[in-house]
Amino acid sequence: MIVIPCPHCSVRNASEFRHVGEAGSRPDPATVTPEQWRAYLYERSNPAGWTTETWFHTVGCRRYITVERHTVTNEIRAARPAGRDGRGGREPAEVLSTRADSGSPDAGGQA
Amino acid sequence: MARSPITVSGPRSVVHGWEVSTRRSAAALRLSDASPLAKVSVRADADGALADALGVRFRGSRREDGVLVIGSGPGEWLLVGRVGMAPEIAEKVRGQGEGEFATIVDLTHGRALMRLSGRDAARTLAKVCAVDLSDDLTPDGAAFRTSVAKVATDVVRDDAGGGAGESSYLLHCERSSGQYLFDCLLDAGMEFGVEPAGPHLNQDEPAR
Amino acid sequence: MATTPVSRRLPAQAGELIDRSRPLAFRWDGRRYVGLEGDTIVSALLANGVDVFSRSFKYSRPRGVLTGSFVDPGCTVQVGDEPNVRGAHRRLEAGMDVRPQNVWPSLRFDVKSANRLVGRFLTAGFYYKTFIKPQRLWPAYQQVLSRFASGGVTSEQNVHGYYDKRYVHVDVVVAGAGPAGMSAALAAADTGASVLLVEEEYELGGHLRYSGEQSLSTLSDLRAQVAARPSIEVMTDAVVTGRYDDNWVAVLQRHIGGAVERLVKVRAGVLVAAPGLIERPYVFDGNDLPGVMLSTAVRRLINLYAVEPGERAVVLTANGDGDAAVADLTRVGVDVVGVVDGRAGETIRRATGRGRLQAVELEDGTVLPADLLVTATGWTAPTSLLNMAGDRPVWNVTAARFVPSGTDLPSTVLATGGVVGDGGPEDLMAHGRAVGTLAGERAQGRAGGTVPTLPCAPHPAMFRASTHGFVDFSEDVSSKEVVAAAKEGYDSSELVKRFTTATMGPSQGKLETINTIAVLSEATGRAIEDLGTTVWRPPYAPISLGALAGRVFEPTRVSPMQGWHEQHGAVPLLAGQWIRPDHYGDAAREARNVRENVGIIDVTPLGKLELNGPDVPQLLNLVYVNKWSKLAVGSVRYGVMCAEDGVVMDDGVTGRLADDRYLMSTTSSGAATVWEWLENWLQTAHPDWQVHVTPVTTAYASINVAGPKSRELMQRVVEGRDLSTEAFGYMQVREGRIAGVADCVLWRIGFTGELSYELHVPASYGLHVWEELLEAGDDLGIRAFGVEAQRILRLEKGHLIVAQDTDGLTRAHSAGLGGIVKLDKDDFAGKPELAWHERFALATAPRLVALQPVDPTAVPPEASQIVTPEGDILGRITSSRMSPALGHGVCLAQVDPAVSAAGTVVTIRLPGGGDIAATVQEDLAFVDPEGVRLRA
Repeated sequence: MIVIPCPHCSVRNASEFRHVGEAGSRPDPATVTPEQWRAYLYERSNPAGWTTETWFHTVGCRRYITVERHTVTNEIRAARPAGRDGRGGREPAEVLSTRADSGSPDAGGQA
Repeated sequence: MARSPITVSGPRSVVHGWEVSTRRSAAALRLSDASPLAKVSVRADADGALADALGVRFRGSRREDGVLVIGSGPGEWLLVGRVGMAPEIAEKVRGQGEGEFATIVDLTHGRALMRLSGRDAARTLAKVCAVDLSDDLTPDGAAFRTSVAKVATDVVRDDAGGGAGESSYLLHCERSSGQYLFDCLLDAGMEFGVEPAGPHLNQDEPAR
Repeated sequence: MATTPVSRRLPAQAGELIDRSRPLAFRWDGRRYVGLEGDTIVSALLANGVDVFSRSFKYSRPRGVLTGSFVDPGCTVQVGDEPNVRGAHRRLEAGMDVRPQNVWPSLRFDVKSANRLVGRFLTAGFYYKTFIKPQRLWPAYQQVLSRFASGGVTSEQNVHGYYDKRYVHVDVVVAGAGPAGMSAALAAADTGASVLLVEEEYELGGHLRYSGEQSLSTLSDLRAQVAARPSIEVMTDAVVTGRYDDNWVAVLQRHIGGAVERLVKVRAGVLVAAPGLIERPYVFDGNDLPGVMLSTAVRRLINLYAVEPGERAVVLTANGDGDAAVADLTRVGVDVVGVVDGRAGETIRRATGRGRLQAVELEDGTVLPADLLVTATGWTAPTSLLNMAGDRPVWNVTAARFVPSGTDLPSTVLATGGVVGDGGPEDLMAHGRAVGTLAGERAQGRAGGTVPTLPCAPHPAMFRASTHGFVDFSEDVSSKEVVAAAKEGYDSSELVKRFTTATMGPSQGKLETINTIAVLSEATGRAIEDLGTTVWRPPYAPISLGALAGRVFEPTRVSPMQGWHEQHGAVPLLAGQWIRPDHYGDAAREARNVRENVGIIDVTPLGKLELNGPDVPQLLNLVYVNKWSKLAVGSVRYGVMCAEDGVVMDDGVTGRLADDRYLMSTTSSGAATVWEWLENWLQTAHPDWQVHVTPVTTAYASINVAGPKSRELMQRVVEGRDLSTEAFGYMQVREGRIAGVADCVLWRIGFTGELSYELHVPASYGLHVWEELLEAGDDLGIRAFGVEAQRILRLEKGHLIVAQDTDGLTRAHSAGLGGIVKLDKDDFAGKPELAWHERFALATAPRLVALQPVDPTAVPPEASQIVTPEGDILGRITSSRMSPALGHGVCLAQVDPAVSAAGTVVTIRLPGGGDIAATVQEDLAFVDPEGVRLRA
């Protein structure tokens, strides 16, 4: 199980966090087309390499953080408090599926 | 009469309007329920005037005038004081705010609070908590939040609450999981001879 | 069968582990025997002349000692209730009841040995080709086959034992405490690092324990040094069984006082693997006969347990350890009648005997009668932990074994000792010291040096004699089957492993891999280095499910009134982590009482969030679909939250208690989700807003008081407040004292459709207020009601429950909530999708309707499908109950708009078969659709 260097709490097991998803910015809802909006909701680039993603420290500081992680080696080279790239919205499919274990600190990471 | 989330078994009495256990223990490892203590949550700018007045940052704690000030999150504090003191604590903090945006909520009833004291307190906690409890990373006064026995729990190392040569930890979680957390700590401490003990509700004196 | 007890115990051996002054009585296969303290189960049996311990998996062949270690395939036995005990490792205890496994009816005569007669039909993969047709005979096949399945038995009455767990943070973990491992631990400790030294055996030392006087002296010195360092924690009878990302290491500790096993989860700075070498069997006809064993087995038996392994021995030796075995045998008086030297190109052809070894045939045709055949034909490096860290082993042609390549390992994983190279104790210790120093430095963040090398010594490449024999003793796979598999096209390591199951047994390749690949190499003509090994995955050593389960604690959450519920016969309902009262014996009666008198229900799990700050209205406008800017102090509004795809996420009421203080309620299962949702918006999109969110779900005990007499009851307990409908109307909130308790929040809202109030009481006084209400309302006919009654009441009133009447695709309009979506707001979560939905999808999207079954006694199960006459699906029942107030079934359903008009008759297909009819209602509410009672 990997460790995540939370900028507030220092190094912690990944099971303390919820992996929110690839970082991205929310398009302007006033001018966005349905195609652009759905790309924001559902499409990810999912590289085999460095990615910038958002994690939420569920049982720690309860802050959203932005992490740069290599998806093949799991090396982490940066972790900082999330800004507007932390995605104002959540992937909708996850919203209801987390209800059953909402609040469970072990959701999403096992040793 | 006010009741703690942790069921009282054995000898009891009513102190400051709360039903508390009066059991005393001389065991080498003791777990006591301190839920009746006043607990006030303060939210404010992590680097503002109120933060300076409180005098402690996230992951640290300090005692002042019978109140334990805990830096429980970035821009978040929990002030723990004697039973019934919540309004007084809140008033004092309001006075220190200098008009900056701050939120003060009385969480006396919303958090279950317990104290684990003894030579083997850290070894007991290490059975249910994955954070490194060694002296250099978690010294006396350190405060952090993590998962203890699968429940989100705040932990404060507060050796002043233990006896000589002992380490002592305050643990608190949201109220409804209090009984579960208490039971898990008793289970983890079985190996070291843990006994439940009645709380010492005066924050200044060590809980013995 | 001898009538006098046999003793194969030798005189005292230097370094023996047994204590001759402490005999231990035990039972084996129903008979009584005596062993000594320090014996393993198998050494005690051998000392008593017993040398067959099990029957093999497929062919049911009698098996004895092969390796004399943990991985010995023939030594797995049942001890009492515990199956699959490794008899050559487990220490004997007084009173043990040991039995053989996989025998029917007995060890001596096993019916399944008839398998050898049909052996040629039981070749590898036979179960892919047999017992398949006809399918109706599967239950019969299963009955028979279960008899043939190997493994021990466990009783269903067994209580889950005490399996412990522990977390450890340490600078260096050393896996293996032979000379190299101990030296590494010492050197690491000397750099100032904290060290965890883990050893599979019961004592430290590895092969130093049975390698002669000089080694024992070296060992004693090393042990003393380890004991003298407080920074080294030692675990024996423990094994490092897995290495995961960032050196998350799993250590299984067995038989610690007070617990059956303990799973230690270690976060290590550096992992040093020092598992040594495992001796490899030789492949030849008869290589599984009792009496055929490896040189390390012989040396352990003689030196550790003072057991004579045989009387007449033939030794096939290709290395120094084989030679040392010859010396040990000769020293204790065993008649060594033949020494075959593999280095000189000599070898054996086969071993023969009925049920056990009786003679050895050499390659030149000589037949030597013997009861002991010892082989020393090579080694296997157990590189598993390194493989888990990314290393792919390479074939070393000189040494005739796979070795770690060392190139793909992270800098925090190192290896020392036999697993990387060869040498005497001094060489191994020197290498261990160098690696340990490096490990200690790296763990403490200091740049170390480079990893020193330990060269491999040349070794003859001996895998198989001229005959065929077993390559996998646990799975009963012979070299002939590997050849056959290759002919069938399974010609790579991965394929031949899966088809023949070779290396898939309990030892997971430690004894089998090299021989299997060597035979595959013969069969395919491809070099061993090109074939490579299969991948090793955790666990390295077997781990019980109990150890993985640990203490089995699941967090449970209870309200302050839970004790009262239990005392009053509440049937518990597990909702998420909460225990709630489902009902107190008669839910229908409870529901009726609410409509007629007054009832109270404990709704503490209801999510409650306190929102403070001048920008709260902006937050509410953002997360709710309706408008919140003009909510007055003391007023309450119902709100619905949608996700960014427009799907309904949660609903609840929010009230304004003061200028900058609001209290938001959510569903109980949505409480954590909504809290996170709010924090996400505040932290990432609007850090400039002045809003603080504080969860107070459990800070308040929440009680809903409902029914026509609820005002009368509240007037008796609420202090100093005018509760008339003019002063305190529907959808209003006040703070005040209730039953003597200050700081309570009193809402006038309704979920059940009756006049009702919701009290939020500081939780520590929850039970007090609950009991006061019951006492004050006694003459009003007050009864507690549970979650089931509440479900009935809200269904009669047509109130939807998010995630019950909606699903992951239900947008606001499809839940009947289109009316409260205010698209003229600037921006809110889900706005674009809801706008497009309203423009383009309304005509075709499902709708929420109320259905009344035509048959008044019918209550269709939830999730029943609504169908056309042709069986196409038009929708489904989302909620369904019998209404005690109305005397007929009431349902909510999601249906295709084509059948959503009031009066339409639809067909519901019941899951058990059969169809019923139901009529679409005008309103969602069956009871009081105008809401007169609510607003009383």
